[in-house]
Amino acid sequence: MQMARRCVALTLGVVVLACGGKGSEGAKDTAAGARPTAKAGDGKITIAVIAKSSNNPVFLAARTGAEAAAKDISQKNNLDVRVVWLTPPQEDGQVQAQRIQQAVNDGADAILISCSDAGKVTGAINDAVDRGVAVMTFDSDAPQSKRFAFYGVDDLKTGQTTMAELAKLMGGKGKVAILAGNQNAPNLQRRVQGAKDEAAKHPGMQVVGTFNHIETPQDAAAEVIRVDNAYPDIQGWAMVGGWPLFTSTLLTDLNPARIKVVAVDALPAQLAYVEKGIAPVLLAQPVYLWGYVGVQTIIDKIHFKKEVPPVIPMELVRVSKANLGEWARQLKAWGFTDVPPSYLSM
Amino acid sequence: MRAAINRVIGSQETGLVVVVLLVTITLTLLAGTHADRQTGQLVNNFLNSNTLIQTATDTSFFAIMAIGATVVIISGGIDLSVGSIYALAGVTMALLLRHFGPMGAWPTVVIGLLMCTGVGLLCGLLNGALVVGLRVHPFIITLGTMWVLRGIAFVASKAESILVPQALTSVTKASLGLAGGGLYPVPMLCMLALTVLGAIYLTKTVMGRHVFAFGGNLEASRFAGLSLKSIQIGVFAVSGITAGFAAFLGASFYGSASSGDAQGYELYVIASAVVGGASLVGGKGSAVGATLGAMLIVLIRQSIRTLHFDQNYEWIVIGCAIIVAVVIDRWSTGVTTRRLGRATEATRAAA
Repeated sequence: MQMARRCVALTLGVVVLACGGKGSEGAKDTAAGARPTAKAGDGKITIAVIAKSSNNPVFLAARTGAEAAAKDISQKNNLDVRVVWLTPPQEDGQVQAQRIQQAVNDGADAILISCSDAGKVTGAINDAVDRGVAVMTFDSDAPQSKRFAFYGVDDLKTGQTTMAELAKLMGGKGKVAILAGNQNAPNLQRRVQGAKDEAAKHPGMQVVGTFNHIETPQDAAAEVIRVDNAYPDIQGWAMVGGWPLFTSTLLTDLNPARIKVVAVDALPAQLAYVEKGIAPVLLAQPVYLWGYVGVQTIIDKIHFKKEVPPVIPMELVRVSKANLGEWARQLKAWGFTDVPPSYLSM
Repeated sequence: MRAAINRVIGSQETGLVVVVLLVTITLTLLAGTHADRQTGQLVNNFLNSNTLIQTATDTSFFAIMAIGATVVIISGGIDLSVGSIYALAGVTMALLLRHFGPMGAWPTVVIGLLMCTGVGLLCGLLNGALVVGLRVHPFIITLGTMWVLRGIAFVASKAESILVPQALTSVTKASLGLAGGGLYPVPMLCMLALTVLGAIYLTKTVMGRHVFAFGGNLEASRFAGLSLKSIQIGVFAVSGITAGFAAFLGASFYGSASSGDAQGYELYVIASAVVGGASLVGGKGSAVGATLGAMLIVLIRQSIRTLHFDQNYEWIVIGCAIIVAVVIDRWSTGVTTRRLGRATEATRAAA
């Protein structure tokens, strides 16, 4: 009798599962809505994309890019390229390693990954490669692994450029703070190092501190406000990621006459900060291209058997009032639906 | 004999086994197939050795911690610090092994294991001592140590992800003679061994029975002359050791340790214990149930990916499944209690 009741629990559980899982037909895991069932060589190629977290808009742009590349390549070359989105809901290197194993077990032909923790995923990447699955990294690399290529910015240089732009805006003097995101992310640690190295070249500039936070817009904005209150003489922020500018909070809480911000990334929500002069310069990573170039490079490697360089550098795009309209139109063309219309006609 | 069989069939663990099997069958039927990379033959997307062992491996880290957490829950307490103990144990082991430099494979493994379980034990003893000494509810104490221990791991590691010696990875990723690539049964076997040890500890030892007595009826335990302080410190020590052991397996299997490891895992661990039948008011639970609970949660997670449902629904589905499982369990317990009550009254009336 008791066992029968347990079986009822199962039935209910499966119903819950089915209802929850099928809630969004439009948001299926694959571009074509199908599971990986094929091997390279018969025209069907499945690429698993594992970004750092599903709740970061930059990775959603990368997903859009990957799916667009799959569609374009399929049409142009009479192939059936499919993208499977296996990104964890929040950053966790161990879960990423598990997803790599799962992609291999599911029969994926290649994996495109941004590593939350290179040490944690290196073993899983090597296992995947040993089992015949090509692996490419983007955004955050695992250089000691057997991945065949990395596509992303030079993080040290990105940090240096961020601080150099800020120094230019501040006339080479004043107190600045560095906003640094997740303290465990090696790529962000390198950007911070680059920013500090650059600040050391400007004797008039003083870095009051490096501030880490949970990588959500709200947490980042709260951290900026906390630090701003604690250090009222800060005149500049070097943000190695654009997190707090994904909210509108700082549009009113930061005084552009007192504080200048230079931040990495330039997504639609950040553009208002350029227009208001709070962030006169944004250093955009063309995040859509993480997915687009990533998928294209994988197809070149595994289908067309082309030689691919082990490091493919991504160049930052400097976004200011001068090219705000042009950048907004570029974002729109990449599939961003939340670009404010006022910028499109600039 | 018949009574024993009835007891096994009617037990909570048997119900969970049936649920796990039915979910497995459902997944197998709905998963579809893909061509195996090596042989070219069609294999089921779920029912293949790689996916099954991978699922068991994913389960093992939660399950091992859940066994320890179940002991705490049976005593009527809770341990929110298991994820932080995991991080601190892994980071300490990685830092010290890096400090010592290269040494033989087995010394590395033995020292690594002793370090992780030792750090886990110390953290558990600290939790227990604070709960007993300060007379503060374990929820508050372990909430505090959750932050303190992760903070120590963060400061000690300087937020670095520290690689562990290859010898550790070679042991935890040993194929043990299984053919084909990517089959690593060691974490799964450790989970099974710990489950057996946990079951023996809870059901066959005096200490285990004391934990049930303590959680089931504190006053009766006091009058029976049990050493309540030692029991309470002991349960946290067990929880710490299992978290430390899971850290050893996790850091070795994945090849590195960092202060960010196992963030949020405490909730999965407690959920595994509760789905496995542990009662948050104490006095009820089992090691086998904890392992099956962890397995069920990992299977639900796996099913979202195997069936290619939208990943964004994972937390909703897991949350609903936990609530459903616990509500059904309470309903089932309530029905059983009422039946027993009616039977007792009937017996009294007949007498």
